[in-house]
Amino acid sequence: MDLHILAHRLRVTSISKSGLQNYTHPLIKLIFLRNRTRCKFFSLTETPENYTVVLDEEGFKELHPSEHLQVECSTWLPLNVVSNGNASSSSQAVGVTKIAKSVIAPLAEQHVSVFMLSTYQTDFILVREKDLSVVIHTLAEEFSIFREEDGESVPVHSQDACNGLERNGKEAHHSTVHPVMIPQNQFCVMSLDPDTLPGIATTLIDVLFYSNSCKDDAPAADDLECIKFFSFSLIDGYVSLVMDTEAQRQFPADLLFTSSSGELWRMVRIGGQPLGFDECGIVAQISQPLADSDISAYYISTFSFDHALVPEEDIVSVTDMLQDQRKDAGC
Amino acid sequence: MSGSKPDILWSPHHADRYVICDSELSLYRIGAVGTSEAKAGALPLSQETAATLLAINSDTPYMKCVAWYPKHEPECLLAVGQANGRVVLTSLGQSHNSKCKELVGKEFVPKHARQCNTLAWNPVDSNWLAAGLDKHRADFSVLIWDISSKYSPEAVPAEKLRLSGDADSGMVVTKPLYELGQNDACLSLCWLPRDHQKLLLAGMHRNLAIFDLRNTSQKTFVNTKAIQGVTVDPYFPDRVASFFEGQVAIWDLRRFEKPVFTLTEQPKPLTKVAWCPTRMGLLATLTRDSNVIRLYDMQHAPTPIGDETEPTIIERGVQPCSESVISSFAWHPSTQNRMVVVSPNRAMCDFTVFERISLAWSSTTSLMWACGRHLYECTEESGEGGAAEKDIATKMRERAQSRYGHDTVQLWRNHLLAGGNDPHLRSLWYTLESLMQQYTEDLEQRQQGNKQSLIYAGIKNIVKSSSGTTETRRCWKGSDRPTDVAQYHSEERSLALQLCGWISRGPEIDVEPFLRSLEQEGEWERAASVALFNLDIRRAIQILNKGASAEKGDLNLNVVAMALSGYTDEKSSLWREMCSSLRLQLKKPYLCVMFAFLTSEPGSYDAVLYESRVAVRDRVAFACMFLNDNQLPRYIDKLTNDMKEAGNLEGVLLTGLTKDGVDLMESYVDRTGDVQTASFCMLRGSTAEVVKDPRVQCWIENYRNLLDAWRFWHKRAEFDIHRSKLDPSSKPLAQVFVSCNFCGKSISFSCSAMPHQGRGFSQYGVSGSPTKSKVTSCPGCRKPLPRCALCLMNMGTPVSSCPGKSDEKVDLPRDKKLAQFNNWFTWCHNCRHGGHAGHMLSWFRDHSECPVSACTCKCMQLDTTGKLQPSDYV
Repeated sequence: MDLHILAHRLRVTSISKSGLQNYTHPLIKLIFLRNRTRCKFFSLTETPENYTVVLDEEGFKELHPSEHLQVECSTWLPLNVVSNGNASSSSQAVGVTKIAKSVIAPLAEQHVSVFMLSTYQTDFILVREKDLSVVIHTLAEEFSIFREEDGESVPVHSQDACNGLERNGKEAHHSTVHPVMIPQNQFCVMSLDPDTLPGIATTLIDVLFYSNSCKDDAPAADDLECIKFFSFSLIDGYVSLVMDTEAQRQFPADLLFTSSSGELWRMVRIGGQPLGFDECGIVAQISQPLADSDISAYYISTFSFDHALVPEEDIVSVTDMLQDQRKDAGC
Repeated sequence: MSGSKPDILWSPHHADRYVICDSELSLYRIGAVGTSEAKAGALPLSQETAATLLAINSDTPYMKCVAWYPKHEPECLLAVGQANGRVVLTSLGQSHNSKCKELVGKEFVPKHARQCNTLAWNPVDSNWLAAGLDKHRADFSVLIWDISSKYSPEAVPAEKLRLSGDADSGMVVTKPLYELGQNDACLSLCWLPRDHQKLLLAGMHRNLAIFDLRNTSQKTFVNTKAIQGVTVDPYFPDRVASFFEGQVAIWDLRRFEKPVFTLTEQPKPLTKVAWCPTRMGLLATLTRDSNVIRLYDMQHAPTPIGDETEPTIIERGVQPCSESVISSFAWHPSTQNRMVVVSPNRAMCDFTVFERISLAWSSTTSLMWACGRHLYECTEESGEGGAAEKDIATKMRERAQSRYGHDTVQLWRNHLLAGGNDPHLRSLWYTLESLMQQYTEDLEQRQQGNKQSLIYAGIKNIVKSSSGTTETRRCWKGSDRPTDVAQYHSEERSLALQLCGWISRGPEIDVEPFLRSLEQEGEWERAASVALFNLDIRRAIQILNKGASAEKGDLNLNVVAMALSGYTDEKSSLWREMCSSLRLQLKKPYLCVMFAFLTSEPGSYDAVLYESRVAVRDRVAFACMFLNDNQLPRYIDKLTNDMKEAGNLEGVLLTGLTKDGVDLMESYVDRTGDVQTASFCMLRGSTAEVVKDPRVQCWIENYRNLLDAWRFWHKRAEFDIHRSKLDPSSKPLAQVFVSCNFCGKSISFSCSAMPHQGRGFSQYGVSGSPTKSKVTSCPGCRKPLPRCALCLMNMGTPVSSCPGKSDEKVDLPRDKKLAQFNNWFTWCHNCRHGGHAGHMLSWFRDHSECPVSACTCKCMQLDTTGKLQPSDYV
């Protein structure tokens, strides 16, 4: 297995719902006018609380600071696991599950905070730049590590990294088990030919920026059951969309790509109150049991909460599992 | 593609069909302009060809890539890769083909929809179609479909198909034969022709990987940026090209660690790279928004063994349709170097890349050039019927074979050796003959202590020093009527007349022998005019009569004789008037000058002197007789300059073999290239000033090189001998000496004057004189000389038998010479073994290795010239 440290240098930001109108111009530019910007990594996720925007430094220049923009102060580097063409992977499960044991758990043990971003195409593991040496040291055993520079993959050796077992200076506290919420809406993960992006521009703008106005029609009672969640990412020219079935109905069916089986996903939202960026082991908490039962999952971290997507048919077992975990923690 | 950029695809089996694909597929047929097939709707592609639109297929939207089924049947079956990753089989203009019908419309659907980047049919198992897709986190990027497979065995739940569009699952295949490349995108792929189970993939994660379908868990891979457009050289299955932005990398699959080389980077990103299918090692590349296709010729670039050697690539650009931008191009599958290019607005152009022409002259007169696969030879017409004159190189070659220039006793015979049909050479060698006679005579005179020699000086120098001229007015012979023609005499003038051949040596002036020789040769007009110039009208008339009555004689000569007999010196006579006007109509120059002489005013003979058809020697002789001391040098100077300018060899009579003669010869060589004549002629000019002239040395060296190039080594040697006789300073010094192993002294002191120019295989004479031929020990220290590796006798002993002697028995002295050569020392510069030259020669006739038993030196192969046979024989 190969681990690639991608060349992007990312910032994690959040735009408040009320301040969105101040940022529509840069956001539209970043989404639709690919030729006008040198941003190569852009992800926008709408949650009920705010809009999380993850983007590289080129894109970050477009966002002017204001009271509505919250910025996590560190630079994050995306990691990407490449299976190296080993077609003989026994597990059918994909996504976070696949890397739970090899990446997530070891990093959690080394107290490295991770920020997950799953897309239609792949899973990105974002780590802080300052943690990189620890990451390389931790993962060098399992992976051949490459650092991408100017389009070339350069092998990285753990000797280059700091040898001391720096533990981030924090103590492990496994005890915290965050509350989870399982909304009722079904989600789908899709992609799109970037060339046809203009074809869905109006729908996309409508769903992204005017969702609240639409929402007014819906009965307020549903709020507890359903959650507003929409994610758009444009990374290295690849488009990935995560939306619920309701939003998906607004798009023309023949333009969006998805799996031929048309699988649907249910969401597990982690966190009762904003999780912050320093706590580690949150992803591991969820992905570990999923990996144990070989359940596929997407995992999307946002500024406040984490979101895991699991197959619709597995939601019952996942619910049970999480409840068991909570009980264990309670004991 | 994707609507804006048309791509082009040749049919693999129909050399006249191709498909243009942008938003739809259009099938065209290409044909010659003006044939019945090309109708009014045909689009002209070039001056000779036009394309007719046969069919359009717009069933497959969102096309991303197209691949043409590689087998003959079913023809015109295309696989189209779409933006959602589906691969659809479709066809063009084949509605009646039942074979095709089963397949057309069949769809191959990946589990997770994403763009299909590339398609490739397996060249052997043509049911296999490899599709390269964009990446998906949970899916493979390369799917190999079996187009003959039945529809997906597991029924897909109907409601689950709602996302994937149509429900016509009857033609939908969802289970691929093989899946490769998880968690990565495939940007390009190709099957490897050496092994049809192997596939070369280029992935997003900057690697090229070779998969073997028999064991998909194993792969060879290399990290590189160049991951687009992988394509295998059809002529060299281990050579692969791929590109990234503006740079093309060439790979050798046997040494896959890094590119063998990369081509110079283009400023704009590349869009297509294709090997020429009809020409080895020719790669065409196209960059975005460009009107130039760059060609890289790797013909002369074998894959290097070491890392240091950078192979040579010849790069050039072609502009198939002048200004317009090229969207894509495609090589024609069978016609050599031909391609069709298409511009973004679908304008097409048929174009043939012209090969560079390489050209080679042979050392003989043939010329060869190669263009593409054709080899052309151009040789001189050897038949006698050829109207054109033979090339000077051919002439020189023939003359060298006939020993031209080597007759040193009778110089004039050399013109016969040259073929005897070149008047210039004839004049030259006769001149040299008379100059030589003059020279020998001069030598005698000098011994008698006479005045300063004028050897080889030419008439120009002779008349300059003229003094003591006497003027006489003689009568016409046989009559006592005095003439008013003044004649001039001096010693130098007589000498000039002798050189001109009019009179023979001796004090008295008698042209009679000359006239008789002219009569013998049938040169009646010339003889008559010489007689007339000697004021002997009667003799002239007699000669003309003789000429008229001779065999094949011209009866008109009698008429001329009659006209001549009417001569009168009265200034205003009718005869004079008629003669001076009618003589211009006479075709024969000598008849013309006769009347010119008779009708001209005394002292002004321009009509005679400047009649260029009259031989120079006759005009000069005439001038020596009739021009006074003022006029003569002026005339000679002028004539000399004219001759020099024209490079006329007749002028050598005037210039002699002096600096002037070299000037004259220079313009002759400039005009004809005949360095042979120039070399031989100038070698005779024994004054150092002439022979050492750089021009002369240049001619001589060039002539020697020519002889070498023709492999006329014996002729070259003969020439060198000839040269050293005439120019002793040209004798090369001895370059090789044989020294004794024991005392270190030269054992060949007795014959150090016998040079031999060094070759790889050196020979050297041991003994110059027969009396010393029995010397088998060093003359210095009396230790024995080394033994011959073959006969084991000490060197210095005569060789007993010489194979191949029988056919050389004709010439005894030559046989003797050969026998001497057989005694020569010979040794290999590499292994130091050797022996008698004769023994060595016969050994290496059948062997390539050294005759010494333990020695494996391939002596003969080290000698590059040893294997060449001379093309002339002594």
